[in-house]
Amino acid sequence: MAHTNDIILKTMTQLIAFILLGFSIYLFFAGHNAPGGGFIGGLMTAAAIILMYITYGYEKIEQILPINFTTMFVAGLGIATLAGIGSIVLGHPFLSQTFEYYNLPIMGETELATALIFDLGVYLGVVGVTMTIILTIATDSDAKEDEEKAEA
Amino acid sequence: MLNEFGAQMLDVVLWISFVGVTISIFILVYRTIKGPTNPDRAVALDAIGINMMALVGLQAINLGTDRLNDVVLLIGILLFIGTIAIAKFLEKGVIIDRHNH
Amino acid sequence: MNNLIFLPIVLPLIASVIAAFFPKKLNLSRKFAQITSVILTIMTAALTWHVLTNGTIVVQSGGWEAPFGISIVGDGLSMILVMTTYIIGTAAVFYAPSVLDKQQESFYFYAFFFLLISGVSGAFMTGDLFNLFVFFEVLLIASYGLIVLGNGKVQLRESMKYVLFNVFSSMLFVTAIAFIYAITGTVNFAQLAERVEYVEQAGILTTVAIILFFVFAVKAAIFPLYYWLPNSYVVPNAVVSALFGALLTKVGIYSILRVFTLIFVHDTGVTHQIFIWLAMFTMLFGVIGALSTNNVKLIITYNIIPAVGFMLMGIGLYTEDAIAGSVYYLMHDMVIKGALFFLIGALIVAAGTKDLREMSGVIQKFPLLGWIFFVASLILAGVPPFSGFIGKILLLRGGLEQEEFLLVIIALISSLLILFSMMRIFIRGFWGDLMDNISDDRKRVRNLTIPGVVLVSISIFLGVGAEAVYPHVESIANMLMDRTDYISSVLKE
Repeated sequence: MAHTNDIILKTMTQLIAFILLGFSIYLFFAGHNAPGGGFIGGLMTAAAIILMYITYGYEKIEQILPINFTTMFVAGLGIATLAGIGSIVLGHPFLSQTFEYYNLPIMGETELATALIFDLGVYLGVVGVTMTIILTIATDSDAKEDEEKAEA
Repeated sequence: MLNEFGAQMLDVVLWISFVGVTISIFILVYRTIKGPTNPDRAVALDAIGINMMALVGLQAINLGTDRLNDVVLLIGILLFIGTIAIAKFLEKGVIIDRHNH
Repeated sequence: MNNLIFLPIVLPLIASVIAAFFPKKLNLSRKFAQITSVILTIMTAALTWHVLTNGTIVVQSGGWEAPFGISIVGDGLSMILVMTTYIIGTAAVFYAPSVLDKQQESFYFYAFFFLLISGVSGAFMTGDLFNLFVFFEVLLIASYGLIVLGNGKVQLRESMKYVLFNVFSSMLFVTAIAFIYAITGTVNFAQLAERVEYVEQAGILTTVAIILFFVFAVKAAIFPLYYWLPNSYVVPNAVVSALFGALLTKVGIYSILRVFTLIFVHDTGVTHQIFIWLAMFTMLFGVIGALSTNNVKLIITYNIIPAVGFMLMGIGLYTEDAIAGSVYYLMHDMVIKGALFFLIGALIVAAGTKDLREMSGVIQKFPLLGWIFFVASLILAGVPPFSGFIGKILLLRGGLEQEEFLLVIIALISSLLILFSMMRIFIRGFWGDLMDNISDDRKRVRNLTIPGVVLVSISIFLGVGAEAVYPHVESIANMLMDRTDYISSVLKE
C-alpha cells in the first residue's frame, strides 16, 4: 500500500481531541438540569478516544491509554448500582437523591447532587461499552493475524 | 407595527428554510442510496449532517431557546468523526489499524 | 423493612457486576455464584413468607408518591413467582459447571445469569407499565448474551431471529404504552386500573389492549406467534434453555395475567373470549409439534407451548377457580420446565446424542436419571397427585362452570398427548438394549441429575402438599379478581 501522509489529520487531532474532552466534561456536569448528563458526556469522550485511535493507530493509543474498556464498563455499572443502594442503607427508598450547593475552586458555585454519582457510573459505562463495540468491529483483523503469524 | 412585521417575516422565512432544508435532505438521501461511487455517498452523508445541524438551528430560532446550541455542536462533532472514519476507510480500507507511522 | 422489597431486584444486579470483574477465574466465580444465589434464595423466601402472612408491600423508588414515582409492588403473586425464579436460578447455577464448557462459562455466563434473574424479578415486581418494559429489556439483553454462548453457526442464525423478533415486539410495546399514556395520562398499574373505567372511547382502549396482548403473546409464545420459540430455545446450551424455558415465557404470561386482570377488564366479552380461542389452538399446535420430532430437546421445548395454553385458558375463563388454576399452573410449570430441561441436558450427555432413534437403554446405566425423568413426565402431564393435576383440575372446573366444553375437551386431549410425547422419550430412550455410545462419565451425569432431582421434589411438594400451598394461591386469585386491594395498597387512599 502506498504510504499516505496524513499530517493535517495528526495535527488537527492533537487540538480537537482536547476540545472534545473538555466539551464532554462540560456536558457531564450540565446534566440533570440542562441537556447533557452521563450518557452524552460518555459518548463524547468515546468520540474523542476513537478520533485518537483513527489517527494514531491501535498500538500507540494502547500504550498511552492502557485501559481495559470492558472492566471500565463493569465498574461504571457497579458505581451506578451502588449509588442507588446507598439510599437503602440510609433508610430512604431506592434511588432517592439529594443535592447541595458548594463553592468549588474553578467552577464557582456548583450544585452537587448525589445523582452525579449515578451519572458518573453511566458515564464510565457508556465509554466502556462504546469503545468495546467499536474496537471490536473496527480494528484491523488482518494485521492482528499477521502479527500472530510473525510471532509463531 | 415594524415589530409585528418582523415577527411575521421571521415566521415566513423560517418555514421556507424548514421546507428547503427538508427537501435537500430527501435529495441527499437519494444520492446516498444511488451512489454511484462510495465517495459520493460519503459526501452526501456529510451534507445530510450539515442539514440536520441547520434544522436544529432553525428550530432553536423557532422556539426562541438557546438550549439547543449544544445539540448543534454535538451533531457537528459526531459528523466530523464520522466523515474522518469514512474517509480513512475509503483511502486505507481500514478504520483503526495496528501501526500508523 | 419495606425497603427490603427492592433487594430481589438490586442484589442480583450487584452480583452480576461483581461476577463480571473476574469471568476468567472459573473456580472463584462458580463459588461466588453458588453462595450468592443460595443466600439470595433464602432471603427471598423470608420476604415471600412475610408478604404472604402480612400482606402486600409497596415501595416508591426515589421517594416520589405513587402515580409519579415508580412503584415496586410485592404482592402475593409477584413474590411467589420471584421465589420460584430464585429456586430455579440456584438449581441452574449448580447445574452450569458440569454442562458448560470452560470457554462458554468464562464468557460472562454468571454475569448474564444474575442480570437475567434481576430482570425477571423486576418484571414480576414492578407496578408500572413503562418500568415493565424496562425490565423486559434488561432480561432480554441478558438473554441475548446467554443465547450466543458457544456461537455455533446454527446458534447464531437462530439467535438472530430471536433478537429481531424481540426487538420488533419491544417496539410495539413502547408504541402501546404511548397510546395508553395518551388515552389515560398514566402508566402506573393501579392508577390505570382506576382510570380505565372512566375512559370514554372504550373501543380505542380495547384496541390498545389487543396490541399489548400481541406483545406479551410474542414473549409468551401463544398460538400464532410461537413459531420463533422452538428453534431458538433448542440451540443454546441446556442450562440456558432451562432458564429461558422456565422463566422467559412465564414473564410474558405473568404480564398478561397482571394486565388483563387488573387493567383491561372493561370488555371481557371481546378480549377474554379471544384468549379462550387462542388457548385452544396453542395447546393443540404445541403438542402436535412435540409429537412431530425425534430431537429430545425439541420435544421438551415444544412442551412449553401447550403449558402456556393452559395458563391462558385460565385467564380467558376469568373466574376465581380458573385464575387460581392459572397461578398454580404458572408456579408448577416454572419448576417442572426447569427440571425437565435439566434432565434432558443430562440425558443428552448420558446418551451422547440428541436423536431419539439413536438412544436406548440409558436407564440400565443411570437408573436415578431414568426414574426421575419418569416422575417428571407424570408431573408435566398432570397425573394425580402431582402438582400439574391440581392446576389442571382447577382450570377444568373453571371451564365447566363457564360451559366451555370444547375448551375442556381440547385441554384433556392435549394433556394426554403431552403424556404420550414424554413417554415416547422414556420408552425409546431409557428402555431397550444398552447402546455402545452411552457415556461412562458417571460423576458428570450425577452432577447433572441432582439439580433436576431437587426441582422435581419441590414440584412433588407443590402437589402432595397442596393443602399448605392452595390457601395462598386461593387468596392470590381472590386479590386478582378483586382489584380494590391492589389499587388501594399502591395509591394509599
